Amino acid sequence: MRSPWWRVGWRNLGRNRRRSIIAATTLAVGYWSVVMLVGWTQGLVAEMIGNGTGILTGQLQVHAADFRPDESVHATIGGRDGVDVAALVANVEADPAVSAATPRVYGGGLVSSGAATAAAVFLGVHPEREARVSRILRSIDRGRVPQSGTREILIGSEMARTLNVNPGDEVVVVAPAVDGSLGNDLFTVAGVYRSGLTDLDRTFVMLPIDALQSLMVFESNRVHEIAAAVPSPWDAEQAATRLDATLQSGAAPLLVESWATLRPEMVEYAQLTESLEGILLAIVFGMAIFGIANTMLMATYERRREFAVLLALGARPAGILWSVLAEAVALALVGLVVGVATALPVLVWWHNAPPDLSWLFGEFTMLGALIRPVLRVEYPWSVTVQAAFAMVLTAVVASVYPAIRAARLPPADTLAGR
Amino acid sequence: MLRFVLSLSLVLSPCASGLAQQSARDIVDQVDRLLRGRSSRATVEMEVVTEHWSRTMAMEMWSLGTEYALIRIASPRKDAGMATLKAGPDIWNYLPRVDRTIKLPPSLMGAAWMGSHFTNDDLVKESRIIDDYDIEITFDGVRGGVRVWEFALTPKAEAAVVWGRIEEEIRQDDLMPVWARYYAEDGTLMRTMTFEDVRTMGGRLVPTLMHIVPADKPAERTTIRYRALQFDVELDQSFFSLRRLRDQRVGG
Repeated sequence: MRSPWWRVGWRNLGRNRRRSIIAATTLAVGYWSVVMLVGWTQGLVAEMIGNGTGILTGQLQVHAADFRPDESVHATIGGRDGVDVAALVANVEADPAVSAATPRVYGGGLVSSGAATAAAVFLGVHPEREARVSRILRSIDRGRVPQSGTREILIGSEMARTLNVNPGDEVVVVAPAVDGSLGNDLFTVAGVYRSGLTDLDRTFVMLPIDALQSLMVFESNRVHEIAAAVPSPWDAEQAATRLDATLQSGAAPLLVESWATLRPEMVEYAQLTESLEGILLAIVFGMAIFGIANTMLMATYERRREFAVLLALGARPAGILWSVLAEAVALALVGLVVGVATALPVLVWWHNAPPDLSWLFGEFTMLGALIRPVLRVEYPWSVTVQAAFAMVLTAVVASVYPAIRAARLPPADTLAGR
Repeated sequence: MLRFVLSLSLVLSPCASGLAQQSARDIVDQVDRLLRGRSSRATVEMEVVTEHWSRTMAMEMWSLGTEYALIRIASPRKDAGMATLKAGPDIWNYLPRVDRTIKLPPSLMGAAWMGSHFTNDDLVKESRIIDDYDIEITFDGVRGGVRVWEFALTPKAEAAVVWGRIEEEIRQDDLMPVWARYYAEDGTLMRTMTFEDVRTMGGRLVPTLMHIVPADKPAERTTIRYRALQFDVELDQSFFSLRRLRDQRVGG
């Protein structure tokens, strides 16, 4: 740093200000686009994971080891003997990464009103707890959430349309029970939810867990699932591993899995976008390399007489080389400062108040997750650093060739104009 | 004259050249209609054994051709009065506990009927086998000391059927079915039905005991035993009504 060539390089930037500004702007725009694009894709992935797991799955689930993948109604936690549900829920909630947990019972059957009948997946839920784990009970379109201890159900908007029912209407609920009989009873539609996911809205029916248990002839200590919310989704895997070790007790083994296992397609998508980030980085700065190389070639060509004089006066070729490289690095740093200075405020802005493009696209679904067309960005910290290094590296790589050419100028011939 | 000779050869050929397609059809059709008649009334006991539970139900059944059937459960008490009506392509269930009739949606046609190893499709799709399947004889000889035929039934191209292939063994002496195997379209065995306890009931020789065993769960089965059987009873289409489905008292 003590070397005077750094200073020479920096000052040389001022020789043709307009060109330096344009070159620095090129780099700044490149940096800005990489950071914003990566921030936006990460925002999209985060939105997808949050929505995909938050609507119903939860970020972590506990099952009997034999529940998945067949999801047999007989495979309750703790087997035929059941389990102390309250204690199990409390143990899951005791994990530091978990914010809330709730028990669930699954069943299949049909819901009928008048001449219309719809096939249904029944989800017995604890209304108060469920609301803290998933968003499904908060997606009420009309009516309200079913209350514990009642024979009330919450159906999706598509099913409500098929059955032509509204809150307050009576429907017949039929579910094969675990003793081989056919459980059936009258229920009142408490409310209609709308998740935006058509499959869910058509088939999923929520009812109080005790009502479904009695319909299916289950004891109250038999449940299929404990679902838990983990506020930072990327912590769920570790929490699942911890809980899988601590919850095991008794004869019937449990299996604790995070959303990454339950929804592997989401992990794959996240990994795919991550690899795309690298490609994006390479493309943008690959293009920048040629822009900078061109600029530096012109700058050194203009100054070839000056370099020749310096060399003739005894400057070492290495010094010339350093001065050109220093100029490039200085250019990159200027571009970086401008890029960071413009990207950071926009990141903060779009993270907290993302521009809404709903007027342009409308909502869409991806991998079973509802996506709002909102340019919400996640803070892509690792990429902001990577891009910064990539940018300086770009400038250096781009100026190696011009620098070598400058250092190898034949002084006499150049000065003679040959 | 030529026409007469041709028709004569058609009549004679089945006997002469072993069995032609025509008589294979006749045999399978006759077995197919064995337990149906033009109309029928039956008292049946159904035992269902699964991995998790087993139960026995008693039920009354009425049928008219292939289009109409009414089944009402008599016991156990929990299910008594539940009834299923089949009319053409539709199935209704009556639930006495809530006094409601439910029409089954198409998506549940493949679901188990009353927890058994029969599906609702088995009730609905009970059309005449010879209309939907091409039939060929794959075995003609003695098995276990009994002369039998084995038939292979493959669905016709345009037939809307559930199975990809059915194999059936039939005794040559009395045309009683021995077993039938049902295969999926990809060729995997789905279930095996066996027929036992052949006796005269309702004036006909019929197998009165049938087992259905799903291929993927060999420990499970549904057994149907005929307790009483009448054929060609006085029934017409108006009997198979939604009103009758709900009616607890009517015997028919």
